[in-house]
Amino acid sequence: MNNTSDAIIIGGGIIGCATGYYLTKKGFKVNLLERAYLTAGSTGRCIGGIRQQFSTPLSIKVAMESMKKFGTMRDELKQDVEFHQGGYLFLAHSEEKKQTYMKLIEIQREMGIDVSFIGLSEIERLVPGIDPTGLLGGAYCPTDAQANPFLIVDGYAKAIKERGNVFPYKDVTQINVQKEKVVSVTTRDNETYFAPVVINAAGPFARDIAQMVDIDIQVYPERHEAMITEQMERFFDMMVVDYRPDGCYFNQKWPHGSVIGCYTPIPNVPGYDLGTSFEFAREMGRRMARLIPRLGNTKIIRHWSGSYEMTPDGNPILDKSDVDGFWIVGGMCGHGFMLGPEIGWLAAEYITEGKAPYDITEFALHRDFTGKEVMK
Amino acid sequence: MKIICRCEDITEEEIVQKINEGYHTMDDLKRILRVTMGLCQGKGCRKHIAKILSRELNIPIKDIVQPTYRPPVKPIPVSATADKE
Ligand SMILES: Cc1cc2nc3c(=O)[nH]c(=O)nc-3n(C[C@H](O)[C@H](O)[C@H](O)COP(=O)(O)OP(=O)(O)OC[C@H]3O[C@@H](n4cnc5c(N)ncnc54)[C@H](O)[C@@H]3O)c2cc1C
Ligand code: FES
Repeated sequence: MNNTSDAIIIGGGIIGCATGYYLTKKGFKVNLLERAYLTAGSTGRCIGGIRQQFSTPLSIKVAMESMKKFGTMRDELKQDVEFHQGGYLFLAHSEEKKQTYMKLIEIQREMGIDVSFIGLSEIERLVPGIDPTGLLGGAYCPTDAQANPFLIVDGYAKAIKERGNVFPYKDVTQINVQKEKVVSVTTRDNETYFAPVVINAAGPFARDIAQMVDIDIQVYPERHEAMITEQMERFFDMMVVDYRPDGCYFNQKWPHGSVIGCYTPIPNVPGYDLGTSFEFAREMGRRMARLIPRLGNTKIIRHWSGSYEMTPDGNPILDKSDVDGFWIVGGMCGHGFMLGPEIGWLAAEYITEGKAPYDITEFALHRDFTGKEVMK
Repeated sequence: MKIICRCEDITEEEIVQKINEGYHTMDDLKRILRVTMGLCQGKGCRKHIAKILSRELNIPIKDIVQPTYRPPVKPIPVSATADKE
């Protein structure tokens, strides 16, 4: 029966597909239900950056383990995923930023990340044409990376289909609970799918899905815009991150050389709206050309927006819930792509073995949300 | 060998192969092959790809759904949008 499986996953983004992939490897038959097409949510709108430079031991560990999984993905999924380790460079334009990065580098190095604070001449060598005005140096990790979300989700989905199914255009409208236990979910077209495990991997919509079983979770969407330029010869290899209030971040896509990038708007733009603003196109151009003046000659060919799925403390939620069999894997706070492979693996281990392979209480559903991930 | 998407250098053979593998919409093909995502934003290839889909899947061309058009409709130079300080 196509309608019965060991687990149902709601959401066909990186989180749903990675979780489904690892559950399949553990022998589960997974039915994945996606409201539109795979990558229709944030995953297809992200800029594909993968870094290990985080601020707490747990987030650093998850990011490092995830990086290892990206590294072996081509062989595992038997297809190219355009993974390229070109690095991440966090620019410091103030003494204060420099001190913050230096402190974080200590923690990161202790955990085994190859990261260091580099000076101006090194930066000018790595990013030819960068404007050094006001620049004091930067935190640089050469093994940070990028990859193609479409190809990865595609590879995971193929593996899920070896045992189970991936159903596009299935909008989950109801989750059916009997005696505090999930039994099935119903979609808008009135199909019902049965499984003892239901995983909420609906990204920015995770809160709406949880409300279907009367659970309130703290995941709030925020709009982020992004753009991509025409292809050009690659002349810098890493994601350049400028965290000034009017900064931005961008890299050159591997292997094609388009510049892809975005910035975090101040004030932030809460809500589900996925419109685009002229202000972003103008500002993004200005901010990029300020850092690397020669980028002023390139053309923006597309501009879109997507949602960050924010929790109050900047950490994901990966936990079971008070409804037996209902799991939440979400609230990735704009890092879901890079953390996805490890989060998916952790979720699959937790679900099948009954406990997480290492301590992830910081990702618990019922936690004190007052902490902060600094490298947001 | 017939090039269908000049911007991304994708041939008819590659498109037909992906259709046979189960990528049955313009959106699917766009995401797996990058077609319609090049400098011309699909002006040069959308119609041809729709025709190939219609032929291979035996569905009327009017039923082929076109992917979302993203602004800007024409490429704009970064410097045209950037204020010169
Ligand atoms: C502009 C931008 C740039 C970004 N850059 C990066 C980056 O460089 N690196 C990085 O790691 N992260 C980045 N992110 C964040 C990243 O995209 C997200 O954290 C990640 O994609 C979340 O994955 P997900 O699977 O949880 O959610 P999604 O990809 O949103 O998947 C959830 C899916 O659930 C589906 N869904 C919702 N409701 C229902 C329902 N009722 N029934 C069925 N299906 C449903 C949706 O259609 C959607 O496809 C960026 C985000 C944006 C917007
Ligand atoms: S010809 Fe296909 S995008 Fe230009």
